[in-house]
Amino acid sequence: MAALRSCALKSLEGLHQVNGRLDSSRKSIAFLPNNIRLCCSLPEAARVWNLHGKQRIHVSAASATSPSQVVLESDLGISYDKLQSLLANGEWELADEETRRLIIVLAGENAVKRKYVFFSEVQFMPIADLQTIDRLWRTHSNGKFGYSVQRKIMKRVDGDCTAFFKKVGWMKPLESDDMQYTYRSFPTEFMWELAPSTPEGHLPLTNALRGTQLLKNLLDHPAFVFADEDLRVPSVSSTPDSLNGVGSRTQQQQEPKKPLSINYSF
Amino acid sequence: MFKADMADANIFIGSLIFVEELAQKVKAVVEVEKDRLDAILVFPSMPEVMRLNKLGTFDMSQLGQSKKSSIFKVLKKNGKGPNFEENMLKIVRTLPKLLKLLPLDRAQDARRYVMSLQFWLGGSSSNLENFLKMIAGAYVPALQKTNIPFDDPVNFLDVGIWHPMAPRMFDDVGEYLNWYGTRKDVNEKLKSPDSPTIGLICQRSHIVTGDDGHYVAVVMEMEARGARVVPIFSGGLDYSSPVQRFFCDPGTKKPLVQSVVSLTGFALVGGPASQDHPRAVSALRSLGVPYLVALPLVFQSTEDWLESTLGLHPVQVALQVALPELDGGLEPIIFSGRDSRTGKSHALHKRVEQLCTRAIRWAELKRKTKAEKKLAITVFSFPPDKGNVGTAAYLDVFASIFSVLRELKNDGYNVDGLPDTAEGLIEDVIHDKEAKFNSPDLNIAYRMPVREYEMLTPYAKALEENWGKAPGSLNSDGQNLLIYGKQYGNVFIGVQPTFGYEGDPMRLLFAKSASPHHGFAAYYTFLEKIFGADALLHFGTHGSLEFMPGKQVGMSDVCYPDSLIGNIPNVYYYAANNPSEATIAKRRSYANTISYLTPPAENAGLYKGLKQLSELISSYQSLKDTGRGEQIVSSIISTAKQCNLDKDVDLPEEGVELTNEERDNIVGKVYGKIMEIESRLLPCGLHVIGEPPTAMEAVATLVNIAALDRPDDGIYSLPTILAESIGRNMEEIYRNSNNGVLEDVELSREITDVCRAAITAFVEETTNSKGQVVNVFDSLGALFAIPKKAPWVAVVQKTQFASASRDKMRTLFEFLGECLKQVVANNEVGSLMDALEGKYVEPGPGGDPIRNPKVLPTGKNIHALDPQSIPTVAAMQCAKTVVDRLLERQKAENGGAYPETIALVLWGTDNIKTYGESLAQVLWLLGVEPRPDALGRVNKVEPVPLEELGRPRVDVVVNCSGVFRDLFINQMNLLDRAVKMVAELNEPADMNFVRKHALEQAEKLGVTVRDAATRIFSNASGSYSANISLAVENSSWESEQQLQEMYLKRKSFAFDSDTPGTGMKEKREVFEMALATADATFQNLDSSEISLTDVSHYFDSDPTKLVQSLRTDKKQVSSYIADTTTANAQVRTLSETVRLDARTKMLNPKWYEGMLRSGYEGVREIEKRLTNTMGWSATSGQVDNWVYEEANSTFIADEAMQKRLLETNPNSFRKLVQTFLEANGRGYWETSEENLEKLRQLYAEVEDKIEGIDRT
Repeated sequence: MAALRSCALKSLEGLHQVNGRLDSSRKSIAFLPNNIRLCCSLPEAARVWNLHGKQRIHVSAASATSPSQVVLESDLGISYDKLQSLLANGEWELADEETRRLIIVLAGENAVKRKYVFFSEVQFMPIADLQTIDRLWRTHSNGKFGYSVQRKIMKRVDGDCTAFFKKVGWMKPLESDDMQYTYRSFPTEFMWELAPSTPEGHLPLTNALRGTQLLKNLLDHPAFVFADEDLRVPSVSSTPDSLNGVGSRTQQQQEPKKPLSINYSF
Repeated sequence: MFKADMADANIFIGSLIFVEELAQKVKAVVEVEKDRLDAILVFPSMPEVMRLNKLGTFDMSQLGQSKKSSIFKVLKKNGKGPNFEENMLKIVRTLPKLLKLLPLDRAQDARRYVMSLQFWLGGSSSNLENFLKMIAGAYVPALQKTNIPFDDPVNFLDVGIWHPMAPRMFDDVGEYLNWYGTRKDVNEKLKSPDSPTIGLICQRSHIVTGDDGHYVAVVMEMEARGARVVPIFSGGLDYSSPVQRFFCDPGTKKPLVQSVVSLTGFALVGGPASQDHPRAVSALRSLGVPYLVALPLVFQSTEDWLESTLGLHPVQVALQVALPELDGGLEPIIFSGRDSRTGKSHALHKRVEQLCTRAIRWAELKRKTKAEKKLAITVFSFPPDKGNVGTAAYLDVFASIFSVLRELKNDGYNVDGLPDTAEGLIEDVIHDKEAKFNSPDLNIAYRMPVREYEMLTPYAKALEENWGKAPGSLNSDGQNLLIYGKQYGNVFIGVQPTFGYEGDPMRLLFAKSASPHHGFAAYYTFLEKIFGADALLHFGTHGSLEFMPGKQVGMSDVCYPDSLIGNIPNVYYYAANNPSEATIAKRRSYANTISYLTPPAENAGLYKGLKQLSELISSYQSLKDTGRGEQIVSSIISTAKQCNLDKDVDLPEEGVELTNEERDNIVGKVYGKIMEIESRLLPCGLHVIGEPPTAMEAVATLVNIAALDRPDDGIYSLPTILAESIGRNMEEIYRNSNNGVLEDVELSREITDVCRAAITAFVEETTNSKGQVVNVFDSLGALFAIPKKAPWVAVVQKTQFASASRDKMRTLFEFLGECLKQVVANNEVGSLMDALEGKYVEPGPGGDPIRNPKVLPTGKNIHALDPQSIPTVAAMQCAKTVVDRLLERQKAENGGAYPETIALVLWGTDNIKTYGESLAQVLWLLGVEPRPDALGRVNKVEPVPLEELGRPRVDVVVNCSGVFRDLFINQMNLLDRAVKMVAELNEPADMNFVRKHALEQAEKLGVTVRDAATRIFSNASGSYSANISLAVENSSWESEQQLQEMYLKRKSFAFDSDTPGTGMKEKREVFEMALATADATFQNLDSSEISLTDVSHYFDSDPTKLVQSLRTDKKQVSSYIADTTTANAQVRTLSETVRLDARTKMLNPKWYEGMLRSGYEGVREIEKRLTNTMGWSATSGQVDNWVYEEANSTFIADEAMQKRLLETNPNSFRKLVQTFLEANGRGYWETSEENLEKLRQLYAEVEDKIEGIDRT
């Protein structure tokens, strides 16, 4: 089922990319052969599209965008100017803090009162806003930071959060025993710079103080599904056809590489 | 730092200081500043800290001083009345209102104190702010003029239901669930009553103060995994009522939850202060679901814990692991740490996942149908040999599995294809026990390709350090990993792989244990991910999963027991007499341990020459005055010599003239020995689960229960009552009998006979014609109601003890009736079914049913005891007796000189059963006494002045077993402090051997006396045993010196009370130095059913020969064994004990025939005794030649017996033959060439048979 879903997701994004419009991709769902199952396995996506079902124009690939061109789109009328200027000025620590604030705002009034996001609130966050935040981070970090970057890393480690934390540098080996890892102390031990030694996906931080469900749900949000496209490239790089998107997709559908072990019970 | 902070503080506030050490330190610092401070507020804590309270005129300095005084008394005996907590809260709430009416200053101060308590318990930041405003405004002189306005305390619910997403707290579970049903953020499935529902128990203070990150993490993880949650909280320490109120449907009273997880870490009732376990158990029993107690880190930062090999801090282990176990709490998983920057709790994400999956898996057991439930039964193979498959202490494993599966089948489980007999089961699993076919391997249930193994086993890579790339050579065919076992329907019976390094002398030498091998990991991966077990049943005491490397308590992500067990609920059949190792299984592999009974004990009886001796003695008594006395005595002497009693009793040469008195004395001594052998208890045969003993089989056990005085319960022992009736004192009779005074040996025997007869008569009265207890209550009721002659009275009346106290006997027999009912109760299968159905399994102490009949009935979730409660006063008393006897004996054999050092061993089980007797022995050797604190916990010792002690302080080298280390780390701390304290006493060296040696060692090592005074040793954390047992069992050792090296390498880890949190540190140099000063070695036997050669761990820990080799004079040292299992406590030499053991067990037809009734397993039991005997030869050299010689005559020279053993279990028989040859080869047994030739020939024969070569 998980394998099926990942394939379905991939076809979906493929369409999304080709058409550049969400409404097209939504229409396309109906034509997928496994549409019934797909709907079952993607409740959050379906709901989000219903909630925020108006048409939007999406900016395509981030690499092609220069920082000034990022469109600060928001379904909730939220301003991303501050985040943008912090990122533009390389104020990583403040930008990280602002991002956490924004995520709480996106989760709604209760979350603001509570001062943190409960994982089940993530599904209501608008795609546009999350993508804006992600785009800002990616654009200003040359594609090193951002949720979609983290999503890719999470997929590569099969949803194993500990492995993810090690990769993005949120955990560090113990001084006395490098077999064991501990959480990097926030904010002092975080790497607030875009240096070659800063791991990919290091920012923005979604802390694990309340476990990993918020992070998992955030990275699973339909807003970042597009990132999976890049995931395929290394896995099929040995085939000459790999540059042909359609060809590689077909191949993916025929032999899913590994079942994903992320928990989709929501 | 605290001191410096206090120096310029205005106000001191303290709360929940319940750890004595901390309390002392706080008191010391604050007391100095008391007069200067403007105010001191201490909320519920130890009385000495409470007494510091100062608020204007209000103080508590009288608290707890007078006997009438209040809070402390309430703390001490809460639970007696209705809810003590609720009452206290009620007072807190109403008191300020009352006090407001009193205009006096004094009342104002008292009122402010109570309001402070309200603010404090209210906890929220606004409450705390107002609290500080109030106190500062009222008591800080500089601020008193400025009127600081403050608000009254805001009360939150004291008890209720909380959810991070809910707009408010609920005090009604119906309302809560209604709200839950309206949640828009979760799907319908989660909201439906059909989804698994987990009850969470939280501390109110964390919720109101917003320090709830770890709770939120658990709620999210549970919900994300599809489980509904009901998180409840309470501000008090008694959760028994909230649990009933919120986890049950208010209408139907049925539980709404399928499992409960306490996130507080505390016992259900009483928190850190004073627990009421019966109250907790009764609440949990009526709820009837599995109860897990997870832990937040309290005394350590996350890094401290990760770095510590110990794991959880010892103080927290005592408070938050040991105590919840007494409530029947399972799975001490650490789920949160503390951020060192903010001080707030944070989730440990992987631990939270582990906790939540496991809690949900337990809940699933309640939801799944029996027919669909998958059960994996795991049996053990120790030592690794086919003849050993299905090893477990006292248990006929396959017969038990068969009996359990039959019951499960009747109950609706799918056990398709189960053979008709237990033999068929053995056949299926081990393929062919008679080895008629060539089948070196067990039945292969699954071949796991390496790729699959690596994909499904996330930690597989970590095993490569020790074992190389998978698959390796163990449980492997070179391409695949092999899972041995057999599946019947939804039940899989598998064989746990072994450690894998038993046969590798190099690995056995490692100071720390090696990780599990790939085959071991693959086995558990198979159970979880391929077979898909809903529950795992480890069958019998014990396997090796829970002894795999990792922290002692509080597993992390990289601890092997945690990784191996994965997310499967673990149920473990465990022998009731082994609470210590059961506790390891509970803590390290999250087992719900279900106790099983050890086989009914019988008296060893007499046989062959010993029987003749007994007959000769009785004819001597009747004929000694007829002139035939001399002749009979000479027969007695020669028979005694034939029976090798000459080492136990001084026998004169033949033809020596003897006076009448000397004759009596010799006969008395021989008689005493014979009686000792005859009355020894031995478990006969093996226990089968689901088959409780018959009433008549319980007689010997009851006789022994009846032989112990229980002054605390007002119960006198039968021997005491009988002795009193003729004006004698039982203690004195025992003493004289030990010294061979013929009349008293005889009297002692008569008393024993009457006891047996009276109890037999009593049991007969309560049983039906089939020998089963029909209805103890009815028959007893009749017995006690009717004043006519009770059966025991009828027996006693015919004897010289006719005037025995009727009242005392009646009390005793009422008690025995209760015991009898419990012995024959059959709850073992029932409790297993409860566990498999996701019900609560009631906890019960493990231990010796004779000493502590509360161990019965079996079928309970075994727990140890509150580690801080030992040693008890009674244990200290017994310990003094044993130490005095030990010193007396050693003096007698050592020219009247006191030993300077005694090397001894501390066992976990021993100390649980005896409430710390051997621990107390160490203290008494040092000449110190424990001083319990106000709550009765032992955390302090004080020296007894030398003039009072009347002898020198004896130095010790304490070898704590790995299990003792895990269970009683606080006591190791206590002992180490005692040693260091004694070493630093300013006393003459000839009266304080600890100081004498420490001074010498300090100089040699160039360290302080305190550091040199290191005497408390054990294994490295997460390691167990010296591995000598493994080497001996597997014959994988070259020389004794190699065994000694193992002992030194593995046992030289010291505990240091100056750095208690860091765990064990290797200190081999001082270990060797200390051992070299030992004059004697010493161990305790803890119960009648486990003796020296029954298990391998006694010789594993014996350093007798090692001490000799370390001593500069190479003198052979004495070795003693204390036996306090019977009313007549003894200190014997090791060789005496080995002889006694051989006579009562291995060489006793009653014992080996009993074993052979179990067939396959029985042969193995016989072989095990011989192997363990050889272990003693190897470590101590205290085994007589005749023991081997007699064993050879019994099992090899006897043709019929030899054939029987070979047929029943050829693999074990081969090992038996091999051990005989080995004993000879290593020089422990000298025998005729003829014997040896026969053994060699047999070895070749059986080898061929097993390999399937037919030579005929």
